Amino acid sequence: MEMFIQTLVAGILIGGVYALIGIGMTLIMGVMRIINLAHGQLMMVAMYITFVLYQFLNIDPYFALLVAPPALFLIGAAIQRYLLNPLIKIESIIPENQVLMTVGIGIVLTETIRFMFSSDYKSVKTSYSTATFNIGAISWNVPMVVAFILAVVLTASLFFFLLKTDVGKSVRATAQNKDAAMIMGINAEWITQLTYGLGAAMAAAGGTLLLPIYYLFPDVGGPFTLKAFIITILGGLGSAVGAIMGGLVLGVAESLGATYISMALKDAIGMVIFLLVLVFLPGGLKQLTKV
Amino acid sequence: MKRSFGCAFVLTLAVFLFIPNAALCQDTVKVGIILPATGEKAKFGEIEKKSFEMALEEINAAGGINGKKMEFLFEDDTGRPDVARAAAEKLITKDKVVMLGGGYGSSETFAISGVAQQNRVPFLVATGSDNKITEMKWEYVFRINPPVSEYPQALESFLSEVVKPKTAAILYENTNFGSSGSKSFQETCNKIGIKVLLTEGYQHGGVDFKPMLVKVKQANPDLIYMISYIMDASLIMNQSMELKLSPKVFIGGGAGFTMPEFIKNTAKAGENVLSATLWYQTLPYPGAAEYYDKFVKRYNMDTEYHGAEGYASAQVIGDALKRAKALTPDGVREALLATDVKTVFGPVKFVSYGKMTQQNKLPTYVVQWINGKLEMVWPKDVSTKPYVFPIDWEKTWK
Repeated sequence: MEMFIQTLVAGILIGGVYALIGIGMTLIMGVMRIINLAHGQLMMVAMYITFVLYQFLNIDPYFALLVAPPALFLIGAAIQRYLLNPLIKIESIIPENQVLMTVGIGIVLTETIRFMFSSDYKSVKTSYSTATFNIGAISWNVPMVVAFILAVVLTASLFFFLLKTDVGKSVRATAQNKDAAMIMGINAEWITQLTYGLGAAMAAAGGTLLLPIYYLFPDVGGPFTLKAFIITILGGLGSAVGAIMGGLVLGVAESLGATYISMALKDAIGMVIFLLVLVFLPGGLKQLTKV
Repeated sequence: MKRSFGCAFVLTLAVFLFIPNAALCQDTVKVGIILPATGEKAKFGEIEKKSFEMALEEINAAGGINGKKMEFLFEDDTGRPDVARAAAEKLITKDKVVMLGGGYGSSETFAISGVAQQNRVPFLVATGSDNKITEMKWEYVFRINPPVSEYPQALESFLSEVVKPKTAAILYENTNFGSSGSKSFQETCNKIGIKVLLTEGYQHGGVDFKPMLVKVKQANPDLIYMISYIMDASLIMNQSMELKLSPKVFIGGGAGFTMPEFIKNTAKAGENVLSATLWYQTLPYPGAAEYYDKFVKRYNMDTEYHGAEGYASAQVIGDALKRAKALTPDGVREALLATDVKTVFGPVKFVSYGKMTQQNKLPTYVVQWINGKLEMVWPKDVSTKPYVFPIDWEKTWK
């Protein structure tokens, strides 16, 4: 029983961070109808920003939350404005080419970072990186718990933004029907920039929160792009609530699988769930929640 | 899609970079070196590449290959066997190298070995340590590093004479390198009467190893043996400390546990951790200490056994090429067979024993992190510090 609870706790905590990263991708998917395959790489850039702040200015990774996500928001918006939107305007280029463009952006980001920081593994070793507290026999890793709580707070504020503000409503309108939104006077191009920026900022927050416990190197992004992709499909394309569910499901499934099947098959378990959802619930978890 | 783009890019680069080069440098002796320069294994590839380059300069400064200059053509295997294969084919058919060197990851090295054998071009393996690489009776494949099954050799005597554990748990990365190493450590355990309670593979790059470590904690072994690359190694130790997992000893099976980054990322969680290793700069091999000092001074970074393997490979290649009667793949193969040279990595000679052919045989060592420094602790006659055992984890982790 103790083993089961410890496993569940670990799964839910990491699931919260996965959800944060997944929501970013799902937002972009909802508005632009493309999978952003540079998502993990954007997260990686944010991790390097956090690392530089910590290493050279001695700024705590949690304070970097005030720097890295806004910086990534700007980078994301610029990518959308100068690299992705121009592709839409040319008729002869099919929209899918935007997806290829994101792959290219991902490669450029990775190699630029490698050029600047070399391939060395780096980590942010804070005094609380390995701090734990115990409730009963279950050990809780402090940065993991903080990451989970901040992920919930950030997600809640995103929801507030999307549901209660005019700009947020415009984003949802564009996601539902771009043409209708434009007829209603919404500047769709500006909304796409905002959305890509927001998506990048969410990924950045996820990366920053992971840093006290994880490590970074230029290729750290790839696996997270894959995870975000699985979450996006799991949750149902473009559904933010679905993405949260998807993140938690993925985290718990990986964790349970690692304990009761084998840790060697951790990634395979994610993929099996992915396939099951596609076969039995093609619309993703969105079908269950209807949001 | 990503791959074909990558290929096109590499091909274009190759056209621009290598053709003019090849035209200009007709009178150099070309050797192809395949190492990971990008991808997750790039860190080790970088250490080896720098060591190869350092040795190359020294060999050329000392007169090169009988007056001709030696040239290394580096190719990036990106840590993927398919790319490694393509790189080997390119070096052999297009650049017409006389032999190949390098080979870091076991899976990539195995792919390169296959190509080398097929095209009858000698390949000197620097690091790829899966047993099967030299068990295929491939007469064009030579290996300078010991196979992974021999990594725990020194450990065996250390365990049976000092630690005397009764039970063990084995954690390994589920790659060729990891599973091959775990199998051979299991055999070691059977031989010296240690009961293996748990053998767990895991996928490289995980964030949370706790589910696996909780299982280990419940099994409560005397000894935990881990075969992991650098960052997994650090995370496993950090999380073991969090869970207060306290066996008699933690032992790393080479790879990640001897890297300077390991102690940087674990700090006190890495203290007193033991590791099997193949090389240490204080060993009484000619040039070992000089190589270490020179590397650190020149690149301002640390080096370890992987770098020594790279440097020693270049020494062996230089030596073989100098002795070769004809600078053709077969001529070089003949020369490699007769190799008997002292390198920074130890004496190199290619022999056949057990199932292995053309394999260099070297002793292995046990090192321990003591006060943040990696110290040689076993065998006793080459140790730099007495080993810390038994270990009080409460005190170490406070």
